Amino acid sequence: MPDGPPILAVEGVTKRFGPNEVLKNVTLSIGAQEIRAICGENGAGKSTLVKVFTGVHQVDGGVVLVDGKPTAIPSPLHAQEFGIALVAQELSLAPALSVLDNIWLGNRKVPLFHRRKELREQARAALEKVGLGDLPPETPVSQLSIGRRQLVEIARMLTRDARVLILDEPTATLSDVEIERIFSALRALKSEGKSIIYITHRLGEVFEICDSVSVLRNGELVGTRPTAEIDRGELMRMMLGRSLGEMYPKWTNMPGKRMLVVEHLSVPGIVHDFNLAARRGEVVCLAGQVGSGAIEALRALAGLVAAATGNVTAMDQPIRLRSVQRAQRAQVQFISEDRAGEGVFLNLSVAQNLVANCLGLHSRFGMLRHGDLREAAAKLATAAGVDLARLRSPADELSGGNQQKLAFGRAISGDEPGVLLMNEPTRGVDVGARAEIYRLIREFCDRGYCIVMASSDIEEVLGMSDIIVSMYRGRQIATYRRGEVNQQQVLADITHPAAAA
Amino acid sequence: MTKRRIVIGIRIVTIAAIAVFALTTPGFTSPISINALLNAISFIGCVAVGMTFITLTGNIMSLCLGATLSASALIFLASLSAGILPAFVLALAFGIIVTAAQGLLVGYFRANPILVSIAGLSLLIGGADLATGGQRIYPGGEGLQVFKGRIAGIPVEALYFFATVVIGQFVLSFTRIGRVMTMVGSNARAATAAGINTAAAITWAYVMAGACAAVSGVLLAARYGSGDMELGTGYDYTAIAAVLVGGTAIQGGSGSVVRTLIGVTVIAVIEVVLLLRGFSQQLQYLITGLIVLAVIMLHTIGERR
Repeated sequence: MPDGPPILAVEGVTKRFGPNEVLKNVTLSIGAQEIRAICGENGAGKSTLVKVFTGVHQVDGGVVLVDGKPTAIPSPLHAQEFGIALVAQELSLAPALSVLDNIWLGNRKVPLFHRRKELREQARAALEKVGLGDLPPETPVSQLSIGRRQLVEIARMLTRDARVLILDEPTATLSDVEIERIFSALRALKSEGKSIIYITHRLGEVFEICDSVSVLRNGELVGTRPTAEIDRGELMRMMLGRSLGEMYPKWTNMPGKRMLVVEHLSVPGIVHDFNLAARRGEVVCLAGQVGSGAIEALRALAGLVAAATGNVTAMDQPIRLRSVQRAQRAQVQFISEDRAGEGVFLNLSVAQNLVANCLGLHSRFGMLRHGDLREAAAKLATAAGVDLARLRSPADELSGGNQQKLAFGRAISGDEPGVLLMNEPTRGVDVGARAEIYRLIREFCDRGYCIVMASSDIEEVLGMSDIIVSMYRGRQIATYRRGEVNQQQVLADITHPAAAA
Repeated sequence: MTKRRIVIGIRIVTIAAIAVFALTTPGFTSPISINALLNAISFIGCVAVGMTFITLTGNIMSLCLGATLSASALIFLASLSAGILPAFVLALAFGIIVTAAQGLLVGYFRANPILVSIAGLSLLIGGADLATGGQRIYPGGEGLQVFKGRIAGIPVEALYFFATVVIGQFVLSFTRIGRVMTMVGSNARAATAAGINTAAAITWAYVMAGACAAVSGVLLAARYGSGDMELGTGYDYTAIAAVLVGGTAIQGGSGSVVRTLIGVTVIAVIEVVLLLRGFSQQLQYLITGLIVLAVIMLHTIGERR
């Protein structure tokens, strides 16, 4: 690492929201040509720190230093002038406009009358730096994959002379190929002298791409270490403040009778001839990346895909696809990966969310029985590990992990154990809550549920499942029993399967 | 959290200020003006309660409720010769059918609710013109007293309105379909994934809206003893203003009939006060508009976190 003052630093920074101190005396610095990971559970203060860097929040104590000098960053616009750029989690590109237009959109340097050719050249140079040199700048952004859009976003920051790029969970929705693209772009930028702040839940990425890692816990800095000097276990201990013990529960598998049988499930262009049999007390994992069809297969089984065809039997009864109600009548419940969009009623109370799937059970002649509903909500909250004191709070006040438990609680509100279809059950969930969700999944297996989940997290797939089905581009590649397969094999299956050729 | 408290505080202060302003206005508490106030609240209030259901389910507003009101009034007047009860039932059924058809289009075919309501409006006006030849309807007939006059000093219209409020809030709070309507408005995709028939919920919301508009139409027809399609002009806008002033969210999923009752009352009180204080008609519109805008902005700020 070159000498000289750090590009960006905070010293003793404190930030309060009302009575809550969300950052307590945090001191850290990022040097030139450094990729720094910032890790911590949800609520540890990561996003607040980012907002301090980008001028959204002002500190209540301590100083922010740019190039070693104490500096106030009063607004995001000022942050842009200091060369600090945030690559947002939710992309802010205008899909109907071209890549070129998007790159210059909102840039203060572009005058009303400008020389288009020059801008084009500069945009091109920026695109080249992020590995998109072959992309015609006239392409509308809507035609690009999410991974490429992310790269365009980075290129856009480069044209604004960004020196420090902040990436907030950039890989959450990307496939492995796209993640590799982002990584090589980041490495190239680093060698050009840029600094990068990388916020992630995925510990593997910390060791793969980052030089050093700062860990936050409850608003305090636990420490900053070079990634070469620590291992995963150590990093987890820093994040949790204790050893995680076993992330994945241990269990003895006692599968019962078949609960879900799927034959020839197809969704045109997305899922091809999918077959599956899942038993009571069993976890079946569909391992696959974005575009593998794993998520869509479960959506189809839940009755949410209009074009789905195939023969599905649940509890020995054939169910007709394309209707959620019919799936539910056969005790097949679905938990979406898109919590805000499809999983949770954010402005309704936790209790109202919990009973959303069982209103019919607790009403008579169309009248709600409020007493029964209250009891049911309390019972479901207890079963899913949702804090009983929060039953009346709106659901959007819960953290990602707690919202996921909420969705879980909703799905188990039926009369008797059934089939739970879960898409990416731990997406955006921090490490601590993740272990709890895994424990819940096994607990409900023991109670006689059958769980089918789709996941792109290979560690999770291997840690949780009795049966693993690997998928690639809508086809099943292989089916393994627990212990029959290792991480490399599953990874190979879902990225470049030999069998698919 | 503190910001939310401040906003709630401002709301209470606003309502208190309006109340003080009203009570210190000479003549406000006179029987005549209270009577006028209750009438105004009742006619517009029924439509606003109906509008609440449409807004709550995430369908913004209907521009057709005023016309539904007028058309139901015409049906009521035209069928009075068959007796007052059959006429009332017929008007109610008509209002329900007209809006339920729109609800089906919005719910099952995902049609844009505003455009559907504009189409409904133009069909109703055209249809009514054909049926009546553009003439006002003056029916003969007895028994209109059921829908006007007073009971124990309270205008009958107000009693019908309060009944509408009670039934509306009951549906929202205590029936399954009411809860489902709120869920659909809160997050339609989540409702679908939860196995809720969102289209049916939306259709029921429109049924409620149509019934409420028809009740208002019958009350107005009884009061004037005649009717034409102008009867409900402008009611859509005042009704949506009342819904929003009450604090029901324009994006749906949060709100109640009781809130709408408060919204209607606030607007009506402001109008009566301005009238009594001798402001010109133009100034009344202007000031009411500004106050409505201010109150709605207050809600918007309060919801932002």
